[in-house]
Amino acid sequence: MTSLALEVVGVGRRFGGLVALRDVTFSVAEGEIVGLIGPNGAGKSTLFEIISGNMPPSHGAIRYFGADVTGKAAYLRRRDGLCRTFQKVRLFETMTVEQNVRVAASQCLPSGRSLASEVDDMLQQFHLGDLRHRKPSELTLADRKRVEIARAVAGACRLLMLDESLSGLTHDEAHRLVSEIILLNKSRGITVVIVEHVLSVLAAMVQRLVVLHNATIVAMGTPTEIANNPLVIEAYLGSQGGALT
Amino acid sequence: MTVNGAGRPRSTVGVSGEPLWLLGVLAAVAILPALPFINNFIIAAVVRALIFIALGQAWNVVAGIGGLLSLGHGVFLGIGCYTMGILFNHFGLPPWFGVFAGVALACVVAAAMGALTLRVRGVFFALATVSVSLALVQLSRHFVDLTGGADGLSLKFIGNSLWVGQSRTPTPFLYAGLAVVVLYYFATRMILASSFGLTMMAVRDDETAAAAAGVAVFRTKLFGLVLSAGMTAFAAALYMQFYMAIDPEAAFGLSQAIQLQLPSLLGGIGTAIGPVIGGAIMIFMSEVTNWGSTKIGVEGGDILVYGILLLVVVLRAPQGVAGLFKSAIVR
Repeated sequence: MTSLALEVVGVGRRFGGLVALRDVTFSVAEGEIVGLIGPNGAGKSTLFEIISGNMPPSHGAIRYFGADVTGKAAYLRRRDGLCRTFQKVRLFETMTVEQNVRVAASQCLPSGRSLASEVDDMLQQFHLGDLRHRKPSELTLADRKRVEIARAVAGACRLLMLDESLSGLTHDEAHRLVSEIILLNKSRGITVVIVEHVLSVLAAMVQRLVVLHNATIVAMGTPTEIANNPLVIEAYLGSQGGALT
Repeated sequence: MTVNGAGRPRSTVGVSGEPLWLLGVLAAVAILPALPFINNFIIAAVVRALIFIALGQAWNVVAGIGGLLSLGHGVFLGIGCYTMGILFNHFGLPPWFGVFAGVALACVVAAAMGALTLRVRGVFFALATVSVSLALVQLSRHFVDLTGGADGLSLKFIGNSLWVGQSRTPTPFLYAGLAVVVLYYFATRMILASSFGLTMMAVRDDETAAAAAGVAVFRTKLFGLVLSAGMTAFAAALYMQFYMAIDPEAAFGLSQAIQLQLPSLLGGIGTAIGPVIGGAIMIFMSEVTNWGSTKIGVEGGDILVYGILLLVVVLRAPQGVAGLFKSAIVR
C-alpha cells in the first residue's frame, strides 16, 4: 500500500476581497511525480506558499505523510523533508555554490550522517563539483537552478516542490534537468510536485496533472486525459487546443 | 564582488593567508612599548584603535555577517561600561567580575529587543536600536545617584593595580586590547567557517530562501544579536578601564554609534579582517584631524572626515579596504 505524501484538504485563501484559492483538495502519493498547471493568476504560487509554510491558508489543512502541518513553520517542514524551489531562483548570492548546499545540509541532515559527504554527494549528483567555489552570479541560469534544487534536497527530502524549474531553459537544458529530477525520484524515492509551463516536457515526466483555474481545481488526471479534457482545453488553453502533446 | 576564482579556497572569510601578515603586524604592535622613539601618547592612540577595532568586530558579527543593521549598538557599550562602573564605584566589585555582569545584562537587553523586533522584517529592528539608545540617554541622565547623570560616571581612581584593572600608563591596555582583538579576529573566522555563520549569512542574503533551506530564521537573528551584544559589552571593559569614565553621549549618542559601525564599513563588512583595518584607519584619521583641527582652531573635524571617508568607501569600494586588497591580489 502506498501512503500519501501530501494531502491538500479544502484549502482556501483570501487576500481581502480577492479569492486566490477556493476549496482546493487533492493528494499526492509517495513516489509520484505530479504536475500542477494553470494559467497565470490561477493560484499555483499561492498554493505553493501555503504547502511550504510561507503563508497560512484562510481555511483548510495541509497533511504531510499523514501529519497535519498546517500551523508548522516553513523551516520545520523543510527539516522534515518538505522541500521547495522558487519561481525566480533565490540563491544566497554572497555565498559559494558549496556553501549554498552546505547550509541546507547542515540544518536538515539527520544525526549520524556526515555533513561533508552529503554536500559532496549533492554537488556530484547535480554536476556542480567544478563550480563548488563559484558564486551564484557567475553561473548560467541552468546551473543556478541546479544549485537551487541541490540546496532544496540536501540533508533530507521526501517531497520536492519545483516552481517553474524548467522555464527559461533551452530545450536541451530542460531535458537534462528533467532526467536529473526523474533520477532523484527513482534513486532517492523523492515525491515531486512540479509547477510548469513547458507542458510538452512536463507531460513526459509526470504521472498525473492537477489543473488549477480561477482559484480552484478544474481537472485531474493523466497527461493524456488532461490533454483531451474539453474543460481544460477551454479554460487553460483557450482556443489553442492540442498544445499539451 | 565576484573575485573568487574557481581554484581559490572557500573564502568569503577574507584575504586568504591573512593570519600570517596580520600576526606580523600584531607582533609589531606588541613590541611598540620597547621601542625608544615610542611615547605614551602614541601607545594611547594605538590602544584607542584597538578598543574601537574590538567594538567594530563585535558590531560586524550582527551587521556584517548577520545583515542586521544595528544603528544603536552603543546601547551595549553603554550597558557594559555603566554596569562595570556602578558595580565598582558603589559596591567595590573589580572589573574582572563587573565585566561579566555587563555582558549578561547586555545579552538580556539584546534578547528582549530581538524578541520584540526580529520576527518582523524591515526597518523595525534598526529603529528599535535607535529608540532604545535615545531612551537610555534619558535614563542615564535621570538616575543621577547611580550614573552621575549628564556629567557621566568616573571610576574611582586607585592607581596601578591589576586587581581593579587600572594603570597610570597605557601599556597594559595595549596588551589587553591586543588580546581581545586577536580573540575576536579568530572568533569571527570561526563563525564565518561554522554552520552557524553560514545560517547567519543565508538569513542576511534571503530570509525566505533561508527558511526554505531549513534555517530557523528568527532564532538565528536573535542569537547573532545576543552574541554581538555580549562581545560589545565585553570589549566595553577595555573602554571603561582605559578612559575611566562614561557619559550618556559617549555611551548611547549618535556619533558613538557611528564610530562602532565605521571600522567594519571602512575595512570591509562581514569579513574577519575588515574591522581590524577599518578601526586602525578610523583612529589614525581621527588623531590626524584632531591634531589638525586644534592647529586651525576648529572642533569636530573628525566627524567631518569620517563622513567623507565613508562616502568615498561607499561610492568607490563598497567591499571596504579589505575588498580592494582582495581584488588587487586576484587581478
